[in-house]
Amino acid sequence: MPNPDSHTQAEQKKWLEKIRALALPEKVRIMNVCGGHERAISMAGLRSVLPDNIELIPGPGCPVCICPEEDVYDAIQLALQENVTLVAFGDMLRVPVNVPRGEVKSLEQARAAGADIRPIASPMEAVQLAQQLAHQQVVFFATGFETTTAPVAAMLAAGVPDNLSVLLSARLTWPAVAMLLDSETPGFDALVAPGHVSTVMGAEEWRFVADKHHLPAAVAGFTAESLLAGFYSTLRQLDEDKAFLDNCYPEAVTAEGNPAARKILDQVMEVVDANWRGVGVIPASGFALRGAYKKHDARKRFPVLQNDHAARRRVGAMPPGCDCARVVLGKLYPNECRLYGSACTPRSPIGPCMVSDEGACRIWWSSGVREPVTTTQDEAQDKLSQHMVV
Amino acid sequence: MCLGIPMQIKGIDGFVAHCEAKGVRRDVNLFLLQEANLQPGDYVLVHVGYALQKISEAHARSAWELFDKILQSEAEQYHA
Ligand code: SF4
Repeated sequence: MPNPDSHTQAEQKKWLEKIRALALPEKVRIMNVCGGHERAISMAGLRSVLPDNIELIPGPGCPVCICPEEDVYDAIQLALQENVTLVAFGDMLRVPVNVPRGEVKSLEQARAAGADIRPIASPMEAVQLAQQLAHQQVVFFATGFETTTAPVAAMLAAGVPDNLSVLLSARLTWPAVAMLLDSETPGFDALVAPGHVSTVMGAEEWRFVADKHHLPAAVAGFTAESLLAGFYSTLRQLDEDKAFLDNCYPEAVTAEGNPAARKILDQVMEVVDANWRGVGVIPASGFALRGAYKKHDARKRFPVLQNDHAARRRVGAMPPGCDCARVVLGKLYPNECRLYGSACTPRSPIGPCMVSDEGACRIWWSSGVREPVTTTQDEAQDKLSQHMVV
Repeated sequence: MCLGIPMQIKGIDGFVAHCEAKGVRRDVNLFLLQEANLQPGDYVLVHVGYALQKISEAHARSAWELFDKILQSEAEQYHA
């Protein structure tokens, strides 16, 4: 039987050879919008094996990073001031808000100050906890993109105890890409669309990239082979000057996605304009509970969630000196931030992009990029070659 | 992260499937795949405790390999 490893290596080699054979412009920038993609790219050292003129740009792929500062602040205040049990995905606990020194600046600090805050890994845990604590208000601070929001909708559709409410801070992925493409400087020439978001929502959701903006787009999975296939597809489209939407991840992605999941999402939530941390309001990019589900809306249940953010907020939504806002939009590589690796590391993160497993700063750091800007992109990426799979 | 993990269904009890991946057992919610007519032995992509899509055995295996690589290289970095 052939060794599966040598099979995948042969696959990777095949795609790389195909990519190298293309006549490409001096510079091509391919954006990904998924923390899972960026992690797979960094871990596999794909930047260092691709031709130099191909840049891989991590874009808005981290829901924790773009969760509005005011929502995190509200969650902290709720947990501190009301007799509630607040649950959130673990990543959210260390996300810092922008408050004066000495004030509680994360859910983790609020917990240390006595608030009842618990990390969960699944919406099912929120329901179980609400059942156990029948006389206690349980609030689920629900952040995430479509892969997480559909389960949150399923949780509500299946029925939850009255004492469970949701502080909803979920976002759609594609509107951020649409916003970049509508701007004067999108900053990329092709898009690799997120695999598991498309598993739920369908590949068709990304058709606008090719049809409306004439940029190549390909849905890709998370193996090096699938990513390379996605890169090759978009590069070939550029080469042939023919932009379309390709699906390089048919193992898990269909044109329509998971129709039942989309139906449940639509039953429980409507799409609304929503703020992205450091970015601003993006039209039709967030969710609000519909009809009967509104009774589980934490914002309606707790007046303490109506904070005046304009009055308290210091300049900017990110912590002082942190460049996450530009990192998130793919305008800056993580190691171009002045604090990267010096003041800001995973052990003492300054901004959300270093806190979250999906944040580009965190991913680059954990895949071994230790050099700040003073070295070039390529040199920094070459250090990754020890993790090369090709 | 928006990354599903493949698991194999061992048994189904209403909307809950008892699943396994590489020796780890978990209860997985099938609410989002209620129209998929899943059976024990099938593979699903699981995220935050919910099955998002049915996948083939071959795809489950290649995804597991990828996770091993990611975990391994992270562990190495962390202890470096
Ligand atoms: S390195 Fe830290 S401070 Fe700089 S952008 Fe990333 S998270 Fe923000």
